[in-house]
Amino acid sequence: MQHLADVEVYSVRTLREALELLSSVKGLRVIAGGTDLIVQLKTGVVPKTNLLDVSRVDELRYVRFEDGILRIGALTTFMEIYRSELVRRHAPLLAEAAFTVGSFQIMNKGTIGGNIVNASPAADSLPPLYALNAELKIVGPRGERFVRIQDFYKGYKKLDLMADELVAEVRIRPPGEGYVGHFFKHGLRRGDAIAVVNGAVLLRLSPEGIVRDARVALGAVAPTVVRSPSSERVLVGSRLSPEVMWRAAEAVVNDISPIDDVRGSAAYRRELSVNYVFMTLYRIARETGVVA
Amino acid sequence: MARRAAVRTVQRRARGPVPQAKVPIRVKINGVEYSHEVEPRLLLVHYIRDVVGLTGTHIGCDTSNCGACTVLMKGTWGNEWRAVKSCTLYAVQADGAEIITIEGLAKNGELHPLQKAFWEHHALQCGYCTPGMILAALGFLKLNPNPTREEIRKGISGNLCRCTGYVNIVKAIEAAAKEIREKGSWI
Amino acid sequence: MTAQRAVGAPVARRDAFEKAVGAAKYASDLFLDDMLWVAVLRSKYPHARIRRIDTSKAESHPNVVAVFTHRDVPVNRYGLFKKDRPVLCDDKVRYIGDPIALVAAETREDALEALKLIEVDYEPLPPVTDPIEAMRPDAPKVHDDGNICREVHLRLGDVDGAFARADVIVENTYRTGAQIHAYLETEAGISYMEDGKIVVVAGGQSPYRDRAEIAHALNLPEEMIRVVTPYVGGAFGGKDDITVQIHLALVTWKTGRPARLVWSREESMMAGTKRHPAIIKIRTAATRDGTILANKIEIVLDKGAYTALGPAVLDVAVENCNGPYRVQASQIDAYLVYTNNMVASAFRGFGAPQVIFAIERQMDLLAKKLGMDPLELRLKNALRKGDRYVFGNVLEGSVGIAQCLEVARSHPLWRSRGRNSCEWPWLRRGVGVAAAMKGYTIGALPDKGVVALELLRDGRVLVKGSFTEIGQGVIQAVAQIAADLLGVSVDDVEVVFADTEVTPDTSVTSASRQLFLAGNAVREAVEALRERVAELEGRLSGRRPARVEFSGGWVFIDSERRYSLQELARLLESTGLGRQVLGVYEVPRVEPLPGTLEIPHLFYMFGVTLAEVLVNLLTGEVTVSKVVSIVDAGRVINPITFTGQVEGAVAQGIGFALMEDAKIRDGYLLTRDLSTYLIPSSKDVPEIEVIPVETEEAEGPFGAKGIGEIGIISVAPAILNAVADATGVEPNAIPLTHERLYWLLKEHGLVEQLRRAST
Repeated sequence: MQHLADVEVYSVRTLREALELLSSVKGLRVIAGGTDLIVQLKTGVVPKTNLLDVSRVDELRYVRFEDGILRIGALTTFMEIYRSELVRRHAPLLAEAAFTVGSFQIMNKGTIGGNIVNASPAADSLPPLYALNAELKIVGPRGERFVRIQDFYKGYKKLDLMADELVAEVRIRPPGEGYVGHFFKHGLRRGDAIAVVNGAVLLRLSPEGIVRDARVALGAVAPTVVRSPSSERVLVGSRLSPEVMWRAAEAVVNDISPIDDVRGSAAYRRELSVNYVFMTLYRIARETGVVA
Repeated sequence: MARRAAVRTVQRRARGPVPQAKVPIRVKINGVEYSHEVEPRLLLVHYIRDVVGLTGTHIGCDTSNCGACTVLMKGTWGNEWRAVKSCTLYAVQADGAEIITIEGLAKNGELHPLQKAFWEHHALQCGYCTPGMILAALGFLKLNPNPTREEIRKGISGNLCRCTGYVNIVKAIEAAAKEIREKGSWI
Repeated sequence: MTAQRAVGAPVARRDAFEKAVGAAKYASDLFLDDMLWVAVLRSKYPHARIRRIDTSKAESHPNVVAVFTHRDVPVNRYGLFKKDRPVLCDDKVRYIGDPIALVAAETREDALEALKLIEVDYEPLPPVTDPIEAMRPDAPKVHDDGNICREVHLRLGDVDGAFARADVIVENTYRTGAQIHAYLETEAGISYMEDGKIVVVAGGQSPYRDRAEIAHALNLPEEMIRVVTPYVGGAFGGKDDITVQIHLALVTWKTGRPARLVWSREESMMAGTKRHPAIIKIRTAATRDGTILANKIEIVLDKGAYTALGPAVLDVAVENCNGPYRVQASQIDAYLVYTNNMVASAFRGFGAPQVIFAIERQMDLLAKKLGMDPLELRLKNALRKGDRYVFGNVLEGSVGIAQCLEVARSHPLWRSRGRNSCEWPWLRRGVGVAAAMKGYTIGALPDKGVVALELLRDGRVLVKGSFTEIGQGVIQAVAQIAADLLGVSVDDVEVVFADTEVTPDTSVTSASRQLFLAGNAVREAVEALRERVAELEGRLSGRRPARVEFSGGWVFIDSERRYSLQELARLLESTGLGRQVLGVYEVPRVEPLPGTLEIPHLFYMFGVTLAEVLVNLLTGEVTVSKVVSIVDAGRVINPITFTGQVEGAVAQGIGFALMEDAKIRDGYLLTRDLSTYLIPSSKDVPEIEVIPVETEEAEGPFGAKGIGEIGIISVAPAILNAVADATGVEPNAIPLTHERLYWLLKEHGLVEQLRRAST
């Protein structure tokens, strides 16, 4: 019993037009790739919605590297991110995640800005952005401002974003030499699936295998994506031994608050969080020759 | 050829009173220009099937999981041909865009290499997922003309098939990729 | 020119051409001029009394043409075994998909909007959703006559003696889930009036049976209804029962207008039928050397709200629950129990995947207890041709299970069992085996199929039958058989299918027997044509010929004379004998055992599956990395359609085993779309090797057997046996989701062990 919510669609070509409409028309919802929003609008529980279609605002579709900062336009699709040499070089974690957000059709249409603003705690692009300390450029009638990704989310689907503002760009300062990391995701099948748990681990290791910096981010286990300071504390300054890996992995439970849903119980999500952080640390350790 | 008993099928014309304003759109599908007035909430897939009458593009799930509605599109989300699921897109968003559906692949009665390969390799049974599967494969081959079997499996992982177990689909795409490379033309 | 033999050749399917170019029309692709869009109001509760239905607001919606409730249905109960299912609910709703009202409107959106304007006053009743609970006398009643829809109790041989004699006894309880068909095309159809008849064009499996159901509900003669089944976007048993047909016929009959009804995916998930969830308890008695003496088996199937094809499913479960083994004694108690869950009915395997899962896990557990190789244990007990099966029936058809097991035993995959090194410390590899059997044809029930064979004026051949093309390739196979029997090229055979107005009744397309039935009927039709030629020759020459042979596009008469088929057509027409003959085939059957519908069958199909898995101890994820499906196929009519069918069955078996988890809580379905109810994608199905073991089924056309279902039946137990091989943990319930397996692994200390080992 699928009933499409009634919509009005305003289509714009430039950022300026978009901002003008956002200021003048009340209650506009921005639609970019629409891969999630249109599905939501199909449930029929949504009242008439006015949509601002920004999918053709081409000025927000780019990947650049300037002044030592990787800049990704908010309307860049995951396919473009996945295929970008710049992203692969400066933020390989994000390229990994872009490849798992969904099928090629989803990657072709889904945008990083859409993924950020849709604010699903299970969004695949977010743990890498948390681990990379990404920053968002937000534009509005009062000009532009910058927000750290961690500060952008105030709670479940609560954003630091006014109704007349748009997320325009994602900025990533490459972590630098010596950093290794991986994205991980647990879906209930190997094909297209929403994450039961996802996350990213990014470490800087000394030549002796001592962890100098550690960033552990987890998704789908709290109202927003979270970093795990407890886990990071265990790691920093330690040698990456299996024992340390397990301790660091187990520390993540201090920083997460998963819930039960149709894809898995809270208890299972807790176990997966621990075990995936362990597996990812182990993988990093093996790739860097710290363990055999 | 298998012959079907005649069924009275008529192109559906847009009809009946409509509660709200319609929006004019122009879309080029398989090289043909169409212009219609549509409700903003009309999905592209319904536009293609119900209004234009190209029913080879199917609907399988409503939630963008099955891929049966996949078409190739250019002019929205960039100016390159890309496979998209036409169920997560309003027809008005396709205004000015170009689209290729399954009906647009065969040229002068000659099957597209993917169509031929699906037929010859028995890559279909009930055939309902086939049009979407072929267009997903085509969009993928355009990005990766010489894929491994593993890459093919990723390339079509957004398209569900309930009949074949995918084995012959993967083989068919592999064979078609070779032919497309040899022909030097993907469409 | 001599026609090439078509049977046994890997010929590309004719329908595949239309399907590959997007020209094939499915029911959901049909749009009619001036058509009404139909939408169905479904129950909000799994169990409630209906106090009042108020449709007045919906009726006054400007674009609504009509709203229908039970008051508009002449005979408001339908069903194949028991007429217990309301066309539109009157007294009660019994599950969440139950239909209450129909809206017919000018547009899709109007119809859906008007649904919300219908007011239903419900009195919610306590639902019963656990079949074991439903069997208690004090449980809420789904139907007035109690919750046990059917029970079968069989005492075969000296069970007590066998248990007294046994060296070992193994007892376990197994559970299987409510698998959803999830065909890519949902239930769909259109309807219209033509020449005073109601025409329904809908996805289905049996046009004649659907016609009878429509006629009964509308209280009209069958001749007033025509049912056409176009290409169907997958069925697997889920379109064996009525879906949209009666609703469409009702709307068109009452309004006189064409109508269209296509279920949304959510509707298909809720209102479509499911595989019966099962709880199966087995107690096995065996000797130390691995001879199985007896099985005591208790089967409980969750019927859901209505009977549908449940009684036959129960019988298939009963018939196959001892597996393909020489079991001398068995006690079987089986119950089909109503609940307020979604309706269960036919699904590929039809009761066999549930019981074979149980018995094949049981075989591995028995092997473990005996310290025997699980494949050797199976081989030791495997049935052979001529054996007396547990029901006292002698197996006179082909029995290829031992050959299948021997192929498995020497397969490199089986021989690699135990070589289990993996890339990461948390991965474990395992290999499992399982056997399968299932009777095919409808068994002890009468089953008769008719096809018409028409010689066209241009010498080509037209075969007409009511078989439905649900993806299995029956049209191509029928064409191949007709081509060979008539000595013509397969391209000169046309096939018209599934239209009650044009094609004779070839019975239902189910139970893996349509090709068997239609193929044999074609053979009979060719015999009838031969007879017709003899009659013609008698008239022309005054002497009946001794031999009539078809070859190379000619008919040869006593090696003296020959006519081209074109000439023959002309002669048959001009003499008034007619160019069309009928072939009738009645499946040979045996008397059913007292108290059963169709036990035993005369023919059985057999198969063996080998599966290789990788288990991640830290997530519970099982990756199936290789499947080998060995099938006793009889003679293979078309190798590519054959392997395709088996591969598809294997993929569904992987879903059944691991991921297809219909989450139902208190009668409500939580997984209502393909984002939460996951079916295998291209990345979840590995390379599949299909090995046909060609035994000869003397009764089958060209020695062919039914093969549509066998491929799925032993997949789940093979995978779970492989998981057990990999981990030592013995899971006995499916789907074995990541989370379920993870907790089992954790309970058995494997997670902790891994941690200790790595630190």
